[in-house]
Amino acid sequence: MKKIKLSIMTLAIALSIGGAFATSPNVTQTCQSSTQYYFNGTGYVLAGTAGVNYICVGTQGTCTYYKVGSTYVPCMPGAYCNSNCRTAPTPKTKN
Amino acid sequence: MNKRQVVLESISALLIMLFLYASISKFLDFQRFIGEMNNQPLPNSWTPFLVWTVPSLEIAISAALIFERTRMVGFIASLALMTLFTIYAAAILLHFFEYVPCSCGGVIRKLTWPQHLVFNLFFVALSVMGIILQRRSSFKSIIITKNSFV
Repeated sequence: MKKIKLSIMTLAIALSIGGAFATSPNVTQTCQSSTQYYFNGTGYVLAGTAGVNYICVGTQGTCTYYKVGSTYVPCMPGAYCNSNCRTAPTPKTKN
Repeated sequence: MNKRQVVLESISALLIMLFLYASISKFLDFQRFIGEMNNQPLPNSWTPFLVWTVPSLEIAISAALIFERTRMVGFIASLALMTLFTIYAAAILLHFFEYVPCSCGGVIRKLTWPQHLVFNLFFVALSVMGIILQRRSSFKSIIITKNSFV
């Protein structure tokens, strides 16, 4: 019984540690650790520090990009917002 | 090993995997985690406290769940933490905060907020099941110990 218990626990620990390392951006890719840019309609501009200079709102679209060589690759999901980021109130409709 | 023990071990293993994976991932890319925490609709002054407390708590819960003696504490702590995460996800979905942040701060980064809520609720349910099963098995072992003295 103890052997089964030990096997389950060892497997769980090994999988979680292995999984964390395997999906770590240091191993696979660098996205949020890289310098973040946002698209301002005409070009890519430095985004600044997340939570300080800007926030990513919602889940639709691409909020920030990071540079791979000379290409800008999508990084953070959502909408880029650097001022007045309150959610717009839901419009009331007549029944 | 009876059926209840197998279920109990499996629940512990799943919770250990969740918390250990989450905490190690955070520590492996700490700068990104700080950025994600700053992106949340919580005061940025909380970030230095939260970035150390959350992963440390997750490791402590995983450690508590490994050992039989501390497992009950682990289940209770897991229920408390997962309930907090669930309330937070629900508060975001109900537009309780000033804005809806990206759901990038979660364990599985590609999940949307509704998916995060379901994911968290599943682990809340697992923690509750763990507490119930652990209580029953502790009660059973007390009875067995008492009977062996009679």
